[in-house]
Amino acid sequence: MLEARDITVDLGKRRILHGLSLAAAPGEVTIVLGPNGSGKTTLLRALTGDVAAEGHISLDGADPRRLAPWELARRRAVLAQFARLAFPFTVLEVVRLGAEAAGEVGAAASARSRAALDKVDLAGYEGRLYQELSGGEQARVQLARALAQVWEPKGPEGPRWLFLDEPVASLDVAHQLQVMELAADYARQGGGVIAVMHDLTLTALFADKVVLLDAGHVAAEGPTAEVIRADRLARVYGCRIDVIAAGDPQRLIVTPVPDPRAAG
Amino acid sequence: MVALSEATGPVAGDRRARARRATLALVGLVLLASWAALATGAAGVSLPQALGRLVTGTGLTLQEQVVLWDIRLPRLVTGLCVGAALAVSGAVMQGLFRNPLADPGLVGVGAGAGLGAVTAIVLGGLLPPALAALAGIYTVPIAAFLGGWAATLILYRVSTRAGRTSVATMLLAGIALGALAGAVTGLLVYAADDQQLRDLTFWGLGSLAGASWAKLAVAAPVMLAAMAGTLWLARGLNGLALGEAAAAHMGVPVQRMKNLAILAVAAATGAAVAVSGGIGFIGIVVPHLLRLATGPDHRYLLPNAALLGAALLVGADIVARSVIAPAELPIGIVTALMGAPVFLWILLRRRGVVDL
Amino acid sequence: MKALALAALLAAAPLAAGAAERIVSVGGSVTETVAALGALDRVVARDTTSSWPEEVEALPDVGYVRRLSPEGVLSVAPDLILAEEGAGPPETVAVLERAEIPFVTVPDATDAAGVAAKIEAVGAALDLEERAATLAGKIETRIADTAARAAEVETPARVLFVLSAEGGRLLASGTDTAAAAMIDLAGGVNAVTGFEGYKPLTDEAVLAAAPDVVLMMEGRAEGHGGAGVLSHPALAQTPAGQAGRLVEMDGLYLLGFGPRTAEAVADLHAALYPGG
Repeated sequence: MLEARDITVDLGKRRILHGLSLAAAPGEVTIVLGPNGSGKTTLLRALTGDVAAEGHISLDGADPRRLAPWELARRRAVLAQFARLAFPFTVLEVVRLGAEAAGEVGAAASARSRAALDKVDLAGYEGRLYQELSGGEQARVQLARALAQVWEPKGPEGPRWLFLDEPVASLDVAHQLQVMELAADYARQGGGVIAVMHDLTLTALFADKVVLLDAGHVAAEGPTAEVIRADRLARVYGCRIDVIAAGDPQRLIVTPVPDPRAAG
Repeated sequence: MVALSEATGPVAGDRRARARRATLALVGLVLLASWAALATGAAGVSLPQALGRLVTGTGLTLQEQVVLWDIRLPRLVTGLCVGAALAVSGAVMQGLFRNPLADPGLVGVGAGAGLGAVTAIVLGGLLPPALAALAGIYTVPIAAFLGGWAATLILYRVSTRAGRTSVATMLLAGIALGALAGAVTGLLVYAADDQQLRDLTFWGLGSLAGASWAKLAVAAPVMLAAMAGTLWLARGLNGLALGEAAAAHMGVPVQRMKNLAILAVAAATGAAVAVSGGIGFIGIVVPHLLRLATGPDHRYLLPNAALLGAALLVGADIVARSVIAPAELPIGIVTALMGAPVFLWILLRRRGVVDL
Repeated sequence: MKALALAALLAAAPLAAGAAERIVSVGGSVTETVAALGALDRVVARDTTSSWPEEVEALPDVGYVRRLSPEGVLSVAPDLILAEEGAGPPETVAVLERAEIPFVTVPDATDAAGVAAKIEAVGAALDLEERAATLAGKIETRIADTAARAAEVETPARVLFVLSAEGGRLLASGTDTAAAAMIDLAGGVNAVTGFEGYKPLTDEAVLAAAPDVVLMMEGRAEGHGGAGVLSHPALAQTPAGQAGRLVEMDGLYLLGFGPRTAEAVADLHAALYPGG
C-alpha cells in the first residue's frame, strides 16, 4: 500500500502541494490527472523522494525516505519524463542498469534485460546505441529499464511498484496501448502502478483508480468511473469536456469540446 | 533455453566480454611498455644481460645498478602510477560531470593542485615547526591534493545546476581557475628565492625526470588508494549517466558517491601533479578511446583506463627521453602533441551533440 | 702567492679526479674555462648553455644546466662532471653520486677574484693546477686593470640592463646580478638599485631610472615592430631612448664571468663611452 498524508512541497517560495493525501493499492493502476501546473509531477517526485516534502509517506509500511537507497531500489522503479544519456551505452546496457540495480548479475541480468525489451516491443534493438534511437524508442527503453529493476511484481518484502511519469507522452497509439497494457498486466500480477497522465481516454481505459489534482489540492480521488465525469473535469480543466460511453465492449471516450463563443 | 544461449554465445549489445579481452590485451601492453622503458635509454645498459646476471647471481655492475635501479625503474613506476592516476581521474571526472570533455588538466584541477604544490614549496617554511615536522615530506603532496580538491569543488559548484553540467561553464570556469592559479603562482614567484624558483619551473613543464624512490614512497600509495577507491564508484557512475535522479532511483547513494568521486579525483590528480608536474590530455584521450572500443561501462572503463593510461604515459616517456637524447623533452609536450588533436577530433565529431 | 696557496688548497681537497679523460662540462663559463686551459679534447659532452668555443657545439648536449637528464649524463660514460653552481636538478645530482662519478661544483663569480677562483677550481679538477694558476693570475690582473681604467670616467653612464622585453614588459636587473657586476666593472652605474635580482619594471620606474644606455643580450632586443626595444613607450622618454643608445652583447660573453671577461669589460666600456 502506498499512502501519503498531508504532503506539502515548496519550491523556492512557491507552495506547489498544499497538504494533500492519497492512497494507492497494489494490484491496481492508479493514475494521477490534472492540468498543467497542478502539481502532478511534483507529487510523483515527492513520492519517489526526488524533492523534499513535508508529511507522511509510507510504502508498504516503510518510509521510503528512510530506506537505504539499494533497498528502496528493489521495491520500486521510476520512469521519469526526460532522460538524457551521457555516454554511448547500447540499448541492452541501459536496460541492464535496471536489472543490476535489483542485484542481478551476469547472464541472468542480460536475460532479464532482453525479456524486458521484448515486452516493450524492442527485441532486436539490444546492440543499437541508445543515443541513436528516436524519442519514442528511447522512452520504451527507459520503461524496459524500469521494468527490469522490479521484474517480479511481488517480492519477498511485499509488492513492487512502478512510478511512471507520463509514460506514453512520446509514443504512437499502438505503443501507447501496449505500454498501458503492460502496466495493467503488472498490476494484475500483484504489483503496484502509479502513473501521471494527460490522456483522459487512456486513463479511463486503464485506471482502476484516479486522483484528480487541481492547483496542489486533490479535487477528486476514487474509482475511475466516479472521477472521470464531465462536470468534475470541466471544473478542473476549465473547458467543456464530454465523457461518452460507446463501443463494444463499452468504454468511456473523453474529449474536449470547443466553446462556440470562443470561435467568435 | 534463453539462459543457456546467454551463457554460451555473445549477446548483441553486451560488450562485457570484449571489455574483458581488452583488459587482457592492455595488461600485455603495459608489460611490453614496461620492458621497453627498462630496456631503452641513453646509457647503453642491456636489460637482458643485466637480468641474466641477476639470475645467475653474478651481480650487477655499478653502472647497471644505478641506471636500472635508480633511474629507469623509479621512472617506470612513476610513469605507470601517474599515467593510471590521470586516466582514471579523467574517466571519473567525465562520469561525474556526465561529459566526455571533462579532464582534471583542462578544467583547472591540475592548476589548483599545481598551485597547492607551489604554495607549499614557497611558503612551506612559514608553517609552524610542529606542523611542518608532522607533514614532513608529505607537505607538497598534501598541498597539491588540497589545491586539487578545492578546484574540483569550486568547478562542480559553478558548472552544475540540478545535476546537469554545462560544458561551456565548465570549460570557462576551468580557464578562470587556471588563470587564478597562474596569477597566484606569479605572486608567489616574487616571494621565492632562487632555489625555490628552480623547483617552480618544474611544475610548468611536467616531467618524469625527477622520479625517485623517495618521492614514490609518498605519492604512489595516495594514487593507488584513490584508484582503488574508484572501484566503488563504477556502478554509481553508470547510473549517473542517466542523470542524478535516475541514479538515485536505481539505488545509487548519489551524494555520497559524488563526494567520494571528488575526493578520489583530487587525491589522484594531486599526487600525480606532486611527482610529475602538469601532464595533460591523458585523462581525455584514454577514456575516450576505451569508450569507443568497449563501451562506457565504468566497471570495465576504470580499470582499463588505468592500464591504458599507464602504458601510454610510459610510452610517451620513452619518446620524450629518446628523440633528443642525451637531453630530454618535457613529457607534457609529448602528451599534448598526442592529445590535443584527439581533443579537437572529439569536438568536431560531437559538434551539435555536445551542448555547450 | 695567494693564488698559489688557493690552488694548493684545492688540489689537496679530495676530488679524486686523477686525470679525468671523459668530462661532462656543464655551464657556459665552465666550458670556456676548460677550453682556455686547453683541455677541450677531454670533454665528451656539454650542457645547452655551453656554446663557446664553437667546436663544443659538436658535442652531445645533455640538456639545460638546471634540468640535466641523469641517464643522458651517464650515457656518455663520464669520469668527471664539472658543473657551475646551481646545476641540477638535485635528483639528477643524487643519482650521479650513487653512480660514484665525481661531481665537482665550480663556484660562481662576479668579480676578478671570483673568476680567478673559478679558473683555479676548474684547473684543480682537471689536474692542471699550474696552468690554471698562471691563467687565473693573468686574467685577474687584466680584469682589474681594465676595471681600473674604466673607473676613471668623470660622469659615469647610467646603464639599464634589460633581460627581456617580451610583450612590452621590461625585465630589468637590480643589484646582486652578473649584469650589475659587469656594469660596475665597465665604469657604469646600474640605473636600478631598488631590488635584488631580475624583476619587471613599471613604466614609471623606467622613467625614474633614467638610463643613458640600455644594455641587452644579443637577440633579445627585437620586437616592437622593428624599431627595437627603444621604442618601448616609457623607455623612449629616457635619455637612452632619446639618444637611441642600445648596446647588445653576447649573453655568455657578457655575463659568463669566465676567461673572456676582461675583454668583455673592455668591450662594454668602449660601448658605453664611444668618445674614448
